[in-house]
Amino acid sequence: MTAILEIRNVTKLYGNELALDGLSVGLQANEYISLLGPSGSGKSTLLRIIAGFEKPDAGDIFLEGKSVAGIPAHKRGIGFVSQSFALFPHMSVFDNVAFGLRHREEEPVRDEGEIARRVNDMLDLVGLVDLGDRRISQVSGGQKQRVALARTLVADPKIILLDEPLGALDANLRSRMRAELRRIRQQLGITFMHVTGNEQEALAMGDRVAVLDSGRLIQVADPDTVYNRPASARVARFLDCYNMFEGRCEDGNRFIAGDTSFPCLATQGAQAGPGFYCVRFDKIRVVPASEAPQPGEVGVRATFITSEYSGPSVMYFFEGQGNKVLEVEYHLSHRQPEEFSLGGEYALLWSPGDALVYA
Amino acid sequence: MAEVRHRIQDGTGASAAARIAAERKDPHARRITALLIAPGTIWMILFLVVPMLMMVYVSFWTQKTFTIEPTLTLNSWIAFFSSETYFGALLRTIRIWLIVLASTFFLGYPTALFIGLFIKNKTIQTIVLVLCVVPFWTSFLIRVLAWRPMLGKEGAVNIVLQKIGLISQPIEVLLFTEFSVVIGMTQIYVVFMVGPIAFMLSRIDPSLIEAARDLGASTWRIFRTIIFPLSLPGVVVGAIFVSVMVLGEFATSAALSGRKVNLLGNIIVTQVGSLKWAFAAVVGVILTVVIAFIVAALLKIVDLKKEL
Repeated sequence: MTAILEIRNVTKLYGNELALDGLSVGLQANEYISLLGPSGSGKSTLLRIIAGFEKPDAGDIFLEGKSVAGIPAHKRGIGFVSQSFALFPHMSVFDNVAFGLRHREEEPVRDEGEIARRVNDMLDLVGLVDLGDRRISQVSGGQKQRVALARTLVADPKIILLDEPLGALDANLRSRMRAELRRIRQQLGITFMHVTGNEQEALAMGDRVAVLDSGRLIQVADPDTVYNRPASARVARFLDCYNMFEGRCEDGNRFIAGDTSFPCLATQGAQAGPGFYCVRFDKIRVVPASEAPQPGEVGVRATFITSEYSGPSVMYFFEGQGNKVLEVEYHLSHRQPEEFSLGGEYALLWSPGDALVYA
Repeated sequence: MAEVRHRIQDGTGASAAARIAAERKDPHARRITALLIAPGTIWMILFLVVPMLMMVYVSFWTQKTFTIEPTLTLNSWIAFFSSETYFGALLRTIRIWLIVLASTFFLGYPTALFIGLFIKNKTIQTIVLVLCVVPFWTSFLIRVLAWRPMLGKEGAVNIVLQKIGLISQPIEVLLFTEFSVVIGMTQIYVVFMVGPIAFMLSRIDPSLIEAARDLGASTWRIFRTIIFPLSLPGVVVGAIFVSVMVLGEFATSAALSGRKVNLLGNIIVTQVGSLKWAFAAVVGVILTVVIAFIVAALLKIVDLKKEL
């Protein structure tokens, strides 16, 4: 695969705040990359710099090998779909989509027949073919999203940047639009870069996931790797599916967190020093405190607080040492839900090989 | 819960509930509605509808030298349309209105564009808008009369132009002409154009302009296709303000034209002054009709109900 867009050492300052800190990443042709980061991590800044709305203070961006420094936004061949959709409220859906073709400075399309053909093709692709005459105020949130996408796609960009595209939609619509976005991208064979603060969305959408924190990329990998092998404790924290014990690793084979000690395996590659011991929510087995653990299992004692049923799975919340809340997830296709007694003592057990150690 | 579901399913529950709610709420709500709209309605009937009907009625009365009699006649109407002076005043009023409308628009729009779009800080925006209104802190007449020492034969403009050698003789047409009337009116009314336009412009989401730019439109295109159409309701509101005030004007033209430029407003003032009530009523009716037409036409341009 060839890198269509190469971001090299891009740095951006807002006053004294470092929004992007020497960030480098390459976007492949024909891929869906999702950029995951909490708010304030610099993800919108990165998107706006790639789009050309802002200039980096240092570093450069190469589109198909050529630097785009000094090239204005609309000449980069990069489409941008903003979170608010930014549709023109005084125009019909059709005229919104046709805007770029009609009004762009370079090579505007004069032939209304061609405009109609291209706009209708695009409306067809996003599933809005009958709504061309509607005013923007007469279409729903999900349809607005599609109009915004069609308006950007009609100009045949090489890359589309989506700034939290599903943020303004309700949950139901969000999952439908996820599939829709992936389908549209595959059909066109162009690169989508999707910025989100939602870890589920990032994992579900991306062929690759890039995790951004404090202006730096802390992991770029396929969703499976990011989920199962987070590159660092910070990535694990963003994913919000790991119980994290803070402490220190001693001699490379023991991890001490408070009064508890967990064995570290050689394969976990932990060095002596401070760090985190992480266990995924769904790798934990809960047994009454009196029951003996299976050979090889390790664990902690905790008090049951509450549970949360969410259909395919159920979350159990426990309170461990030092008021630390520990979460356990039971996928109901594999395990039976259990009734734990409120305030009861339980042992949370896992196999040491399932844990991740960052030290 | 089960009962509610049952009632909704058989359809009677919902309508029964609606009927009960309507019975319980309606008389009370209706009384409050009536109470709230009564003062406004009474006021409008007493001081707008009745006087207007009176004006139309009086315009058909018979004018004697110092009195009028309620004997119906078309004489005043015939006098208006057969007189060069009076009919000419109607045309002049419309001409001056058009010129002032254009000048307030062309002066006001760029100002509003600056305030509404280029000043990002809302506080500064408000301060600048308030500054536009500062001239209103002095009396209307002073603001108008202040143009005399500016535009007069030995006024500020002529002195400056002579000092820098652009002219050797003072320009006399500056004051006591239609020109000075237009200048005076523009200065007074331009702020009514600026306000509504700046308001509409400041409501435009900056991301729209960014999106249009990203789609490749030039600045002029963005103005023509996005910014101007979205500010149009402001333009219409401003135009209505300016039109209504300019069409009924008499003070500016009296003070700055040396009584040479007679607008419909001036005619009403002089006719009332000489107790020609019937004739003044004719002019009043004509003015009202003209204003009504213009406002209706302006409202055709945009659907204000939808836009505001």
